[in-house]
Amino acid sequence: MALNLPRQHLRRMKKIRNRKGYDLNISGAPSDALATLSVPATVAALPERIPFIKPRLRVKTGDPVQVGSILYEDKTDPRIVFASPGGGVVGDIVFGPRRVIREIVIALDQEETAVTFPALTETDLDGISRDDLVARLLEGGVWPLLRELPFRKIASPDSRPPSIIVPLDAREPFRPSPERYLTEETHPLFVFGLNVLKRLSDKLIVFTDPRRKGICRTFKNELTHTIEGRYPADDPGVLLYHLRRGPEDNRAWFIDGQDLLLLAGFLRRGTLPTERLFVVGGSGVAERQHVRSRLGAPLKHLVLAEPACPEPRYVVGGVLRGYRGNPEGHAGLYETAVNVLPEATERDFLNLFRPGFNKPTRSRTFVSAIKNVPMAMDTNVNGGRRACIACGYCSDVCPVDILPQMTLKSILAEEVEEYLAHGLLDCVECGLCSYVCPSKIELVETFRQTKFEYHKEQVS
Amino acid sequence: MNPVRRFFDGLHPHVSPGGKYEKLYAFYESIETVFFAPLERTRRLPAVRDSLDVKRYMFLVIVALIPHLCFGIYNAGYFARMASGLSLAPVPVVLTGLWLVMPMVIVTYVVGFFWEILFATIRKHEISEGLFVTCMLFPLTLPPATPLWQVALGISFGIVIGKEIFGGTGRNFLNPALTARAFLYFAYPVSLSGDNVWSVLVGGAERYVDGYTAATPLSVAASTTDGQTVEAALEALGYSPLELFFGLYPGSVGGTTTFLSIVGAIFMIVLGIASWRTILGGVLGVLATAYFLNFIAGPDSMPFLSLNPYYHLLIGGSAFALVYMTTDPVSGTHMNGVKWFYGFMCGLLTVLIRVFNPAFPEGVGLAILFMNCFNPLLDYIEVKIRTRRRVPNV
Repeated sequence: MALNLPRQHLRRMKKIRNRKGYDLNISGAPSDALATLSVPATVAALPERIPFIKPRLRVKTGDPVQVGSILYEDKTDPRIVFASPGGGVVGDIVFGPRRVIREIVIALDQEETAVTFPALTETDLDGISRDDLVARLLEGGVWPLLRELPFRKIASPDSRPPSIIVPLDAREPFRPSPERYLTEETHPLFVFGLNVLKRLSDKLIVFTDPRRKGICRTFKNELTHTIEGRYPADDPGVLLYHLRRGPEDNRAWFIDGQDLLLLAGFLRRGTLPTERLFVVGGSGVAERQHVRSRLGAPLKHLVLAEPACPEPRYVVGGVLRGYRGNPEGHAGLYETAVNVLPEATERDFLNLFRPGFNKPTRSRTFVSAIKNVPMAMDTNVNGGRRACIACGYCSDVCPVDILPQMTLKSILAEEVEEYLAHGLLDCVECGLCSYVCPSKIELVETFRQTKFEYHKEQVS
Repeated sequence: MNPVRRFFDGLHPHVSPGGKYEKLYAFYESIETVFFAPLERTRRLPAVRDSLDVKRYMFLVIVALIPHLCFGIYNAGYFARMASGLSLAPVPVVLTGLWLVMPMVIVTYVVGFFWEILFATIRKHEISEGLFVTCMLFPLTLPPATPLWQVALGISFGIVIGKEIFGGTGRNFLNPALTARAFLYFAYPVSLSGDNVWSVLVGGAERYVDGYTAATPLSVAASTTDGQTVEAALEALGYSPLELFFGLYPGSVGGTTTFLSIVGAIFMIVLGIASWRTILGGVLGVLATAYFLNFIAGPDSMPFLSLNPYYHLLIGGSAFALVYMTTDPVSGTHMNGVKWFYGFMCGLLTVLIRVFNPAFPEGVGLAILFMNCFNPLLDYIEVKIRTRRRVPNV
C-alpha cells in the first residue's frame, strides 16, 4: 500500500523538539530482560478503568466464555462491546461503591477456545469497505483500542478522524520499551495494522524518539515523525500540540503500538490475540524486567518476587499516570506496566536543615539537584498543603504550555470560557504539574475532573 | 526514640481537638514540621511527588537573609556606639547590636505568629511559611531606633491588612513586609525618617558626639546644593564607594548592604527561588532611569540628577528591596514575560521618587507597592496574549 514508500519518504520524516516536560530521576528501572510467564489461573476485564463509558454486563457469574466473547457493552453506544481476554468460566464479578463494575474475572480452562471471525489478508483489506472494516473491529471487541483526543475516550465509530497517531515510545517511568514488542518479527503485522488505520483516516502519524535507534532502523519506512525531548514527549497529545494547524486537527485518534499489534493480529487471524507485554518496575520490587503474559493478568502474577519493602504500593501504569491497583486485582485493557513503590512510612528528622543528598527534585533546592543519579521515591506527598505561591514551576514543565497556576484559578472561579481558552482540553494529563508543585496542589486531578465534567456537559 | 519526637508526642494530646490548647494546633504543627518532615501518602495522581515543599522554599529565603541580620546587628551596634562616643571593639559592638536589633526581631515574630495562628485557627488551615519570611524582612527595613510598640503595630498592619484579609499567603497582592513598613512610615514619620533615627544613642549618651555625621547617604544626595557633586559630598562625609557597597553607614537594620544583597541574589537565583528576570529588570530600571537623568541634567539642575547611576544601587535600600522585596512570588507578577516590566518599573519609580520627590528620601518601597497594584493587570495582559496565540481546542 501507499505506506511502503521508498527512500524519499524517509527524508520527509519530520523532526520535532519538545522543550518542556521533565524526566524523573527515579530509581527502579526495569532491565531489558524478557521473561515469559506461565498461564495465570484467572484473567479479568476492568470496566471501571475504561473512561467515559456506562458498562452493561452481557454475562453473569458461571457463564462459559471463549476468548473474544462479549463480556459487556457501553450502554450509551451498544455497538461498542468488550471482548473477553480469556476462555473459561465467568467467576467473580466485583462491584465497587454505587454498583460500579470493577472486575469481571474469568477462571481460565485448559483448552480456551476462541470466537473466530474470517481472517483478513492484505488483499482482502483492499477490497473491504471502510464501514465493513469498522463493523468488524466493533464486532470483535477491539474497537475500544482506538481512542480519541482530547478526552482520551473510545473513538466514535461514526466519525472520520483528521489523523491517527501511533506513538512508539515510552518515556514515563516505567513502561515497556517498544523495542521489546516491535521487532523484525512483528514488523509485517505492524505494517498490516498501519494499513488498517490508513483505511480509517487519511493521515497517519507514527513517531518515536530519535534516540531509539533500533525502532528508527526497523521502522524507517513507517515513521513519519521523530520527537525529541523529555517526558511526556511520547504522548500523542504532545505531538498533536506541535503539529496541529487549526481547530479541525484536534479530534485526532491514537492507538498504542502494542494495541495496534493486537488489533492487527485480530483481523489477520480472526481470533483475539491474548498476549500482552508488561513491565514490572519500581524500587519496591527487586525483580524488575519485561514479562510476557496475558491481557488482564493478575497483578500478583506479574510481580513475580515478593516486594522488597514492608508496605508496597502497586501502581498500575507508570508512576506519574498510573493508578493505585489492588494487589489482588488484575490489569486493565490498556495497561502495560506495574510499578511497585514503597509506601511512605518515615518522617525525616531535621529534613529542612539538611542539604538533601538523596532527595529527588526538579528544583535546585537540594544538593541532589547536581547529581544525575536515579533516586528511590516513595509515596510521600513531601509537604503540607498550601495556597499557590505562584512559583511558576508548573508552567515551566507543562508540555503543552497550559499555565496550570492560572488555569486552576479560572477553574475554581468556574470561568469556563477562560479555562478553555487557556487550553485545558490540550492537557495530556501527564501529572508533572502536580509532581513539581511545592504547595502540593492536586493540579492534574483537578484538570482531569474538569475535563470529565465538561465532557459530560457536552454529550448531555 | 528520638527525644525531640518524644517531646512533640508528649505535646500532641494537648493540642489535638479536645485538648486544653487545641487552638494552638496550627502553631504546634508549624513548629513540629520544622523538625519532622510531614508524612502524607499520595491519594491522587501522580503517585510520587517532588521533595520540595513551601517550607523549604521559604526557609531558603531566610537562609539568604541571615547574613543581612548578622550584618545589621553589627552595623547598628557600630554606629550606635560611634554616635555615643563609646569604644568600637568588636565584642561590645556586637552586644550593643544584639541588644538593639534582637528585640525588634523577636517582637515581630511573636506578633506575626499571633495573627497568623489566629487566622489559621479560625480558617482551619496550617500556617503558611510566607510568615517566616515576612517577619524576617520587616525588621531589616526599619531604623534601629524604632520603638518596639511601633514594630508590633507595623507588623500587625502588614500581616492583617496586607495579607490575611485577602485570604492569607498566596492571595495577597501587596508585599506584607513593605505594607507594614509603609504603614509605619506614614503613621509615625518622626520615628521612621529624618537624620536622627538611624543611629541609636546608647550607654547614657544624650546627643551625638561632636563631629558624628548622622546623615544617611540618601539625605546627603538629596540635600547637596549647586556647585558640588553628590559623589564629592558623600566622599567628604566619609562615604567612599566601597563603604557604600558594603553598607557601612547608618541606615535601616539590614538593608544598607549592596554586597550581601548581591550574594543573596546569586544564592536565590542559583537555587531557583527568586526570579532573575525581576531582579535584572529592576537593576536595569534603576540604571536606565539614572542615565536618562544624567542625560537631561543641565548645568543649573540639582546635582542629584547628575549622580553616577551606579550610586543609586549603592545608597539606600534599593539593592536590598530589588533582591528580596520585588521577588516575592505572590505579590510580584506571576508570568515570566511581564517580570521584566515589573522589575524595570520598580527601578524606574525608585529613582524618580528619590530624585524628584522631596517628601520621600527613599522610594523603593513605595515604588514596589505601587507596582504590586498593577501586577494582576500585567499578568492578565500576558495571559491574554499567550492564549490568543493558541490553536483553540473546544
